[in-house]
Amino acid sequence: MTMVAATPRLAARRRLWFAPVLLGVAILVGTAIGETRLPLMTVLQTLANKLWGAGYPVDRIDAGIIWSYRLPRAIVAACCGAGLALTGVVLQALLRNPLADPYLMGLSAGASTGAVLVTIAGVGGGAVSMSFGALGGALLAFACVILLAHAVSGGAGGGRANQAAAAIILAGIAGSQLFNALTAFTIARSANAEQARGIMFWLMGNLSGIRWEDVGACIFVSIGGVALCLWHRRGLDAFTFGADGAAALGINVQALRGSLITATAIMVGVLVSKVGAIGFVGLVVPHAMRFLVGTRHDRLVPASALAGAVFLVAADVISRIIVPGQVLPIGVVTALVGAPAFALILVRGARR
Amino acid sequence: MRIEVHALSAKVHRVPLLQGISLHIERGELFGLVGPNGSGKSTLMRCLAGLRRPSAGRVLAEGTEVRKMPARDRARRIAFVEQQADTTDRLTVREAVELGRTPYLSPLRGWSEEDAAAVEAALSAVEMTAFAERLWHTLSGGERQRVHIARALAQDPELLMLDEPSNHLDIRHQLSLMALIRDLPITRVVALHDLNQAAACDRIGVMQGGRLVVVGTPADILDEALLAEVFGVAATRSVSEGGATHLHFSHAL
Repeated sequence: MTMVAATPRLAARRRLWFAPVLLGVAILVGTAIGETRLPLMTVLQTLANKLWGAGYPVDRIDAGIIWSYRLPRAIVAACCGAGLALTGVVLQALLRNPLADPYLMGLSAGASTGAVLVTIAGVGGGAVSMSFGALGGALLAFACVILLAHAVSGGAGGGRANQAAAAIILAGIAGSQLFNALTAFTIARSANAEQARGIMFWLMGNLSGIRWEDVGACIFVSIGGVALCLWHRRGLDAFTFGADGAAALGINVQALRGSLITATAIMVGVLVSKVGAIGFVGLVVPHAMRFLVGTRHDRLVPASALAGAVFLVAADVISRIIVPGQVLPIGVVTALVGAPAFALILVRGARR
Repeated sequence: MRIEVHALSAKVHRVPLLQGISLHIERGELFGLVGPNGSGKSTLMRCLAGLRRPSAGRVLAEGTEVRKMPARDRARRIAFVEQQADTTDRLTVREAVELGRTPYLSPLRGWSEEDAAAVEAALSAVEMTAFAERLWHTLSGGERQRVHIARALAQDPELLMLDEPSNHLDIRHQLSLMALIRDLPITRVVALHDLNQAAACDRIGVMQGGRLVVVGTPADILDEALLAEVFGVAATRSVSEGGATHLHFSHAL
């Protein structure tokens, strides 16, 4: 009997080699495909030249496109996909709400407000970058939501952890609405038509400005996020029957919730500050992965991170090629592809 | 596990939920908690399990204050089955029971043979081994309650707390669940609504308005006067040949 219990887990572990390979292929393909399609061989040769000076003869313009634009862009897309998907996993597990995602916590709305205040309203007088404004906005919105949730659940009394979860979600909705309104207000008041178009583009997610200097922070937060979630995988599992159930299983609910949600907020803040508010990844990918690998977080966390990464790299490729001569905001693609896919998953899952 | 409760009080925003409760529960005992809705049964259960901070007083488990035990240690000794714990996750019965091993696992200490054995033993104790691969949402209410108990047993506890375990179950499942609980060889504290089920406990405590009004064996304390005063019902009591107490309720007073 014990062997039966152990086998699926071992099988899952043996399939782990598949993750970095798939991710690598996705990034390479994402690098090769674009407005000018470059042969995969050129991409590989350019990488070899840059990484260990292999000295293949590659066109300098091609090499420049690959190394300076497309590769960092693909890597950041992968990091964002992984990070946003993980955020969805964590929030859905801890708050016991299938709709929880970074949007719901007001994180994306706050980041947008911060970015808009810096770029359009001129807050910081040019000394503050848009990324920094977005990060600040995300964390400020998060702080507002947590404070409000605390006040609400304190009023409800009883210290029941499940009530606290409901309070966070309600506070998140209020916070999102407030910060979205602030964003719209700032744009309406200060922006000219050109600026408004530019910022709308950013609000739907935009990877075109990504350079190598953005890559480090994104890799750091996404790998850190995966590691932290894997470390707390059993704690996340323990929330299956609610926060009180987790407490009865010896989980320090407040500490785990506080640290993981804060880590999530920082992760989303950093990612959104680089690429704008990309929706739907945090909501769809974890649900899709639950159908594929089950609800246990030792499998769900790596699977969601990988799927999110691949999904966003693919979405970025599609956003570049679907309308010739024009780049769509990546958020449009994630929603256009994600919404029907999500519906399909839900319907098929319900039938099973 | 021997439990001692000394002058325990709990309140929410100055509204008292429990007032001055003192009680002791012996090792291996099946202790029933009864009382009308809102009498404080669940709050007392949560305090006993260390899940709620009392505003005054102490709960000692084998001489150690439960609120001061590290959470993991506490979860290895005290298991708690909540009143309505449900999930929308698609997990199997076995996965649900495996959660009971959480306090024994750490990020670096993985699943072991010992954990697998504890899960198997717990599944077989509640006769759910054949259901191990079934998905949670396909189970009936009685089966879910059995899985919750198996999860609690997988914690290998010295004290098992059950908050109204037979709520929402049909009569057959109520009886089989109570039989299962009665036969478990550890200390059990069970909050109950059904007074005839409470009559099967070793001892019961009767709660009213946040106070523990009386503690004793069912035969000693479950009488017509108490039922009229605490529960507001008219009832007659009969004792069967085996010495079991039976209550027959006629109307609300």
